[in-house]
Parts: sequence; structure tokens; C-alpha cells
Amino acid sequence: MTTPPQSPPPVDEKRAGFEREALVHLDALYRVALRLTGNPADADDLVQETMLKAYRAWHQYQQGTNAKGWLLTILRHAFINEYRRRTRHPETVDLDAIEPFAVLDERQDDDPQGQFFDRIVDDEVLRAIDALPEQFREAVVLSDVEGMSYEEVARILDVPIGTVKSRLFRGRRLLQAKLYEYAVSMGYIQGNRT
Amino acid sequence: MNCREALDHVYEFLDRELTPDVEREVREHLEACKPCGHHFDFEEAFLKFLQARCRTRSAPADLKRRILNDLFGE
Repeated sequence: MTTPPQSPPPVDEKRAGFEREALVHLDALYRVALRLTGNPADADDLVQETMLKAYRAWHQYQQGTNAKGWLLTILRHAFINEYRRRTRHPETVDLDAIEPFAVLDERQDDDPQGQFFDRIVDDEVLRAIDALPEQFREAVVLSDVEGMSYEEVARILDVPIGTVKSRLFRGRRLLQAKLYEYAVSMGYIQGNRT
Repeated sequence: MNCREALDHVYEFLDRELTPDVEREVREHLEACKPCGHHFDFEEAFLKFLQARCRTRSAPADLKRRILNDLFGE
């Protein structure tokens, strides 16, 4: 005996809301997860877990507010609690001691527009981001990769806005310095520093 | 505003995070000071480069499928 085809269930409101407001941020969550974990397999797992947690806590989310920020906060907590210990070691460097030089000082005579950057391939840029100390990397990824405001970044990282500014400043300068050194090592430009 | 102060604000200026008053002071300084103008141009080029290189990647196609399966058993 065959069972009659079941009529599709009525569209679940929770599901519709979640798809509309949360699932649309999948790409952003994946990009951030990839930079935090440093590998695609862990990034997949982290995003999957984030979505599961977010769906369970969906009643706590206020519809129409900043879903991306809310999801990234969940993702970051999941990363800190479950992934960081096995994927990367917590930073032991003294972040205050890092004083990156300004690349422009090296380049202003022959390349004031920083055109050498254009010769650097995407993967090298991502590798340079991955090599940043975690606190700087988080700020750079949220701001430069995801285009979030200082206030949103501060909320996700749970630090004051002044801290976001300082981490962004040093993170970006460190990144410039890394990319500059790479460009010199590849012979794209002549290095002035010896 | 002097050069030091203007350069301290370079990223906040480019990120459009300054208050209108401070933003105007920076702008006035840049109009009068060519070296700072170059510095700001360089940093702006760097940020644009960074954003252009990093914002393109999307999630793998099967990730969404697995999440839908997780959440709704599809």
C-alpha cells in the first residue's frame, strides 16, 4: 500500500526568519572563520556549529537588528572556547612591544601610490593576515574584510573602541610591513632597509 | 592641527569614523600639507587593495546544504 503524498508543512516562521536574516550572512561567517582557524575544514565546522547555536538561541535575537554582528559574536565565542586551543596557541608575544614601521617612508620616493601592492597575489595577502597576532587579526578581518564599523567590532570583540583603533592601526601597519618584505623578497621592488 | 595629529587620525579618517569637527580639521590640514596628503593617499590605496583582495571569497556550496540538513533535516 502506498502512502498518499504529504502536503508540505506550513512555512515555519522561525525558519523563514532565520533564513532571511541569518543564513544570508553565511559567506561573511565563513570568511571570518577561515581567518580565525586558519584552515577550511575547521572553518566549515565552526560555521556549522555557529549556525546551530544561533538557531537554538534565535528567540534571543531581536529581529531587524544587527544579525551579522550577533552571529559573529557567537562564532568568536565558539572559536575561543572550542577551537583555539587545538588549532592555534594563544598569543604569548608582547603586543605593546610591536612597533611596525610605516612602509610609505620606504616607498615615497619611487612609489608614493603603493603600486607594488597590486603585484601581490591574493593568497599571499591572506597568508600575511593569518600570520598576524590574533588580536590584530580579528580587528583587521572584521574591519577590512567584513567592513564593520569600529563600534560593531568593539561589540563583537568585547573591548572599548579605543582598543579597536589601536589594534587596527598596528595590525594594518604590520600587514603593510609583511607585504612590503614579501614584495622585496620576490624582487617586485628594491628594498631600502638592510 | 599639526602633521603628527593628522597622521594619528589617518585610519579613522579613511574609515569615516571621525566626528564631523575633527574630520573637517583633518581635511583642512590635508589641503595645506602636501606630504600628509601623500601619506593619506598611500594608506587609502592600501586599504582599498586589502578590501578588494579579501572580500571575494564565499562559503563552499555544500556548507549551506549541510547546515540546512542540520537545522531542518533536509
